[in-house]
Amino acid sequence: MSEMIMPIVVLLPIVFGLTIPFVPLKSKKAKMFYVEGIVLVTSILAILMLLNQPTAEFTLFRFTDYLNVSFRLDGVGSVFVGICALLWPLATLYAFEYMEHEEHQPTFFMFYTITFGVSLGIALSQDILSMYVFYELLTMVTLPLIIHSLSREAIHATRKYLYYSLGGAAFAFIGVIFILVYGDTANFTAGGVLDLVALADKKELLTLVFFLCFCGFSVKTAMFPFCEWLPTAGVAPTPVTALLHAVAVVKAGAFACIRVTYYCFGPELVKGTWAQTVLMCLIIFTIVYGCSRAIKETHIKRRLAWSTVSNLSYILFGVILMTPLGLVGALCHMCFHAVMKITSFFCAGAIMHKSHTNYVHELDGMGRKMPFTFIVYTISGLALMGVPGMCGFMSKWALADAALTDGSPLAIAGVVALLISALLTAIYMMTVTVRAFFPGKDFDYSKLDGVKDPTWMMLLPFGLFVIAMIVFGVNAQPFVDFFTNIAMALM
Amino acid sequence: MLILLPILLPIVMGSILLVASFVEHLKKNNDYQAESDQELSKIHLFSVAGLVVSAALAIYVGLQKGMSCTLFYLLEDLPIYFAVDSLSLLFVTFISIVFVLVGIYSCVYMKHEHEEKRFFGFYLIVYGVLVGLDFAGNLVTLYLFYEFMTLTSMPFVLHNGSHESTMASLKYLFYSMCGAYLGLFGIFVLYQYAPSLTFTAGGVMSVLSYNGNTAIMLVAIMCMLIGFGAKAGMFPLHAWLPSAHPVAPSPASAVLSSIIVKCGVLAIIRVVFYIAGPSFIAGTWVQYAWMTLSLLTVFMGSLLAFREPIFKKRLAYSSVSQVSYVLFGLAVLTTTGFEGALLHTVFHAFIKCALFLTAGIFIFKCHITRVSDLQGIGKSMPITLWCFTFASLGLIGIPPTSGFISKWYLALGALQSDIGAFRYVGPAILLVSALLTAGYLLEIVVNGFFPKEGTEIKSYGKEPKAMWIPLMVLAGLTLGLGVLPNGLIEFISTIASSLF
Amino acid sequence: MAFVQNFPFFSIILTIFSGPLSTMLSNKKAKIWNMILIGIVCALNLAVLAFVISTGESYTYMMGHFPAPWGNEIRVGVLEALMAVFFCVVMFLCVISGGQERAREIEESKQNLFYVMVNLLLCSLIALVYTNDIFTAYVFVEINTLSACGLIMIKNKLHEGRTLEASVRYMIMSLLGSGMLLLGICFLYGLTGHLLMSNMQEAIANLVATGQYQIPLLVAICLLSVGLAIKSALFPFHSWVPDAYGYATLSSASILSSMVSKGYIFLLIKIFFRVIGFEVIIGSHVLNVLFIFGIIGMIMGSLDAIQENSIRRMIAYSSVAQIGYIYMGLGLGTTAGVVASIYHILSHAVTKALLFVSAYGLTNVSNNRRDFKQLTGAAYRNKLAGVAFTVGALSMVGFPLLSGFVSKVLFAQAAVGVSSTKMFFTLVALAISTILNTVYFMKTVIRIYTPMDAETEKEKGFTRITAKEDMGKAIAMICFVVMNLVLGVLSQPIIELIETGLAMFM
Repeated sequence: MSEMIMPIVVLLPIVFGLTIPFVPLKSKKAKMFYVEGIVLVTSILAILMLLNQPTAEFTLFRFTDYLNVSFRLDGVGSVFVGICALLWPLATLYAFEYMEHEEHQPTFFMFYTITFGVSLGIALSQDILSMYVFYELLTMVTLPLIIHSLSREAIHATRKYLYYSLGGAAFAFIGVIFILVYGDTANFTAGGVLDLVALADKKELLTLVFFLCFCGFSVKTAMFPFCEWLPTAGVAPTPVTALLHAVAVVKAGAFACIRVTYYCFGPELVKGTWAQTVLMCLIIFTIVYGCSRAIKETHIKRRLAWSTVSNLSYILFGVILMTPLGLVGALCHMCFHAVMKITSFFCAGAIMHKSHTNYVHELDGMGRKMPFTFIVYTISGLALMGVPGMCGFMSKWALADAALTDGSPLAIAGVVALLISALLTAIYMMTVTVRAFFPGKDFDYSKLDGVKDPTWMMLLPFGLFVIAMIVFGVNAQPFVDFFTNIAMALM
Repeated sequence: MLILLPILLPIVMGSILLVASFVEHLKKNNDYQAESDQELSKIHLFSVAGLVVSAALAIYVGLQKGMSCTLFYLLEDLPIYFAVDSLSLLFVTFISIVFVLVGIYSCVYMKHEHEEKRFFGFYLIVYGVLVGLDFAGNLVTLYLFYEFMTLTSMPFVLHNGSHESTMASLKYLFYSMCGAYLGLFGIFVLYQYAPSLTFTAGGVMSVLSYNGNTAIMLVAIMCMLIGFGAKAGMFPLHAWLPSAHPVAPSPASAVLSSIIVKCGVLAIIRVVFYIAGPSFIAGTWVQYAWMTLSLLTVFMGSLLAFREPIFKKRLAYSSVSQVSYVLFGLAVLTTTGFEGALLHTVFHAFIKCALFLTAGIFIFKCHITRVSDLQGIGKSMPITLWCFTFASLGLIGIPPTSGFISKWYLALGALQSDIGAFRYVGPAILLVSALLTAGYLLEIVVNGFFPKEGTEIKSYGKEPKAMWIPLMVLAGLTLGLGVLPNGLIEFISTIASSLF
Repeated sequence: MAFVQNFPFFSIILTIFSGPLSTMLSNKKAKIWNMILIGIVCALNLAVLAFVISTGESYTYMMGHFPAPWGNEIRVGVLEALMAVFFCVVMFLCVISGGQERAREIEESKQNLFYVMVNLLLCSLIALVYTNDIFTAYVFVEINTLSACGLIMIKNKLHEGRTLEASVRYMIMSLLGSGMLLLGICFLYGLTGHLLMSNMQEAIANLVATGQYQIPLLVAICLLSVGLAIKSALFPFHSWVPDAYGYATLSSASILSSMVSKGYIFLLIKIFFRVIGFEVIIGSHVLNVLFIFGIIGMIMGSLDAIQENSIRRMIAYSSVAQIGYIYMGLGLGTTAGVVASIYHILSHAVTKALLFVSAYGLTNVSNNRRDFKQLTGAAYRNKLAGVAFTVGALSMVGFPLLSGFVSKVLFAQAAVGVSSTKMFFTLVALAISTILNTVYFMKTVIRIYTPMDAETEKEKGFTRITAKEDMGKAIAMICFVVMNLVLGVLSQPIIELIETGLAMFM
């Protein structure tokens, strides 16, 4: 019966999330407890599920005999479940403080909670159709979150997000259909579901379809040339940008790419074909391009969003290497980047929330007023740069290790791109720190009166994230072992 | 575990100071107030005592040959591992001497800068990090401390908080990071192809290990040379030095210029002689490129120093040039060259430190930053200027100062090797550069003692004791090691013989 | 013979005779009578459906027990019964949804005429579905056309000229189509000497086997296909669509878009399978032509819709695109493609009616202005319509859990089974069309959910209404949403029905 827990963790936040605007709780505090309660219970259940590792599958419902929405937990899925389950309660806590002056809070928290369930749904999906269903759902439930402020920019951003996402999904859909038609089974299977011997004459076609499908899913991961939507979507409230655009939504795209590459089409089909080459070129370009745009950008959240663009392509780089080691690197960066980026987004959010500034040049001297926030920001910056002892270094290491084991010229170019991007990261992250702490000799601090560090609801997540970044960085072996186990199944 | 003590002790003590300063900021709501004298003396006592104790510990550990320790594992095959060898001992000794002396000097100097707690906090931490770098037993550990060194020494450049210092610190950061990432690329490659990343005298490579991958390995090593060369001020990543030094407080620039650039040299030595092995790159394009770059830097640095009017900037360019002497000495890949390089590392550390401390005294007492304003300074501060003179002579390489010996070895090393035309071009460039050095340093000495006629000579009063004593010690070391170099040379030749 | 077998005949007779009855009743009574009538017909057909499913085979029913070639026949299979039930249900919901608009837009004295048209239309649709005689089919096609014309024209309080113009345009195109259909039927009659479908099929099979009269046969097929394609508004014969759907009264628009064109398509499918034989059709390459125009229609319809500034005309253009989907499915030339097409007929009928109803709900609270600017915030003024429109739009975009997704999956799966050129075009067209659909539908959804500040709202005289104030629409929208969900989530039994029905055609 342990498989029953899977639909529960998916549906619990969705169903209870829907009740949030309607619960007859008068006081704000009670509502907060209600929301946090839902999220926390789901997280705990999810973690229990991870510890239990149910092996059976659970079918939620059937479209047709062979098309159904069903759940099964496997290694890669566990990773994604783990990321969501650990980050969501903290992010919700943070959101309470951030959102306290915003309108439409119940609606916001409703969708915020539902998104949790949908993300878990993506992680637990057993086959590509279920994943596609939840993937589309994710786009829809995050839509109201981005449009939240209902300002002109928010609407513009939402439209852009929608067109990009659904457009990408439309092409991903082609791949879904091909897997359903040609796959031995629709369920995810390590190493792919295509019988390459039987389909020898369709190889070219399938490669093309893989290319389209990968591009489709990589829209969510903001691969160049599909990356413009992500920075634009930065207009959303920070808990949304942080959690969704650093963790759930974009990671769902990366997760889907992993599924498609390793569990549907299979590395064997694509390895060495033009599709791999073209995608790898695009990804390598994105790594550098995202960072360059981040340097040019002065809006602090958009800057972080561009940084996300670049970092997501790190993950894709690992994926497209099509080796077990590449998968290890991708999973490493998927986890570690989630922690790092959510931290830096939260800092940016705290700054914006407390001081109502949006641009980097307005941050002068803020470090003295919000020391904790900026110290945490700096630490997350160091981690993103890949300073050894922080988690960013370990994922870079794993990726570079994978690329150099592969040894092809493009893979080496990828390593170079990683390092260039690390340098650019240093530029765009550290300029902020230096500005904030050293505004110049005769800076007038009285301008910043009233700016101070946020309360414990924001600081608690900060503290935990900093600890996580260092612990992951210093003791990455258990993670790497875990990921290696997953990847070994591909051999 | 003893090996960790000299690393952690200063780091912990520094952190205490930093936390104290941080808490103070929070309490006072960011209104900066100068520390009271009583508090200051406490800070000074704390810092200097910390430095002395850690220095003693560090040297003691250095003397225990073969001590090693694994702190923890980043990954199963990536330990953070410390090991002590003769090279560590050499480096840790001169680093400690310089740090203690500059520490004493700073107690006075920093009075005219703000935020002493922060300065001493980072000063202690940097010392700990440098010791860690020195004791690093494999490439990853080295890289870890190398990055930390950049990050913890950045506040030195930032210290006075002006706009230029911000810009300079960012420049420093980006050049260092650029170098570090080039190095990291090399580490990535070596991790793949080299049998081990643990430092072993003479290198870890065997023919088997690089068979078929020689090309990429050479590229990787070249990347590491350029990358770690950034810290050592080697062309093309040298531009941070002249920006960073003038804005940092003088003790900080002394440390940056005499010690931190040497850490670039240490990293290069570790890569070339302890991982790759001299025989691996001997005769390859890497060696020639390296020699070309270092000679270019030697010449260019001197030339730029020669036409530089700002005192500290001139010294910075001089460092660019002088450290590349060391790099050239390493690049020729002969025993004598290597010995010369190490000797020059040590001597240059003392000399450049002395020169910067002099500059600091001038800034502290007279607020002079430009060379042309130093007319007749010898009248009011003869001790300082005499020390400066001896140090300058050392840098130029005039016997009996120490610089002569190292340069002799360098030239000899080049001539002994079989590196084609470089055998003659190298020493020639070193010589030309020495002449330029004489030009830009002796100008100050001459003007200081014999001001041009008609210039008004101001009287500035005597320099404080805590400032000139460290200076004297350094100048004394410059002279003393020139007269009695045998012990040091012997020690270095044992290191060299284990490598070739 | 079981009594239930008479029901198809009963329902045709009932509806056709209720037409004259409606003219005599008052407006209100006519409405109630119609509701009851559609309910009864629906129940009758449901019984037939249950019967056919239980027996597992189709049957032919001779009118007055005269055998062919003199008598007239009805043929009942699972697919026919299913379509009849479905048309009844949709018709019922369309009629109840437009009550307010009818009261507002149609002259008092002519309102009962509306129900006459509805009766005739339903009658002709059921007859088209069931008939086994191709000439009877033609007769009912004409009845269908005329009643549809009436439905378009009947709204004359507002846009008087517009509806007249639209109906004339519709009439001209439709009659052109009918003419071609008639010519085609004549050709076939000349070739085979029969009018009953089953007899014609045998004769044609003979002709094909002996290789006689190949060219006349091909011409006949072309005439039939093109005729019905014109009538069902396949691109490029769609110019009448936006005017007709855009200016007609609500019930008319939803009836026309969800059923009338679908009836013709169903007839075409029936002719393909029952008269000419699917093998022959595939051999004739007519399908390829339909396929190409279907694909072009998918793209062009959406492109036109994007440029449209009026919400109803936008939905009308979207119909053009959706008709393109259906023809594309037919054009694939496989049973799977046909199944997908039939499924899409159902799915599109439900969705398009939903969209029309909810769009009216939205424009009603925006001073009946249809341009997008006025619709700002309309979803807050009429909450149910907002939700309904969103559901419809998502279904059109092919969002999982809604009917549009299932038909998209079926189309794509059907496409993967055919030749690689067709497959490639289909898949790419599906993807592009999805993106285009997203652009215009989601743009509208975002627009209606963008709030308008209260002052501007007051200034413009916009009102807010709740679901209770317009029960008819509320019921219709809820039912359509539920049907959409059912088609989206529990598609398996319906697909099975379609498949068994198609098997009975063979």
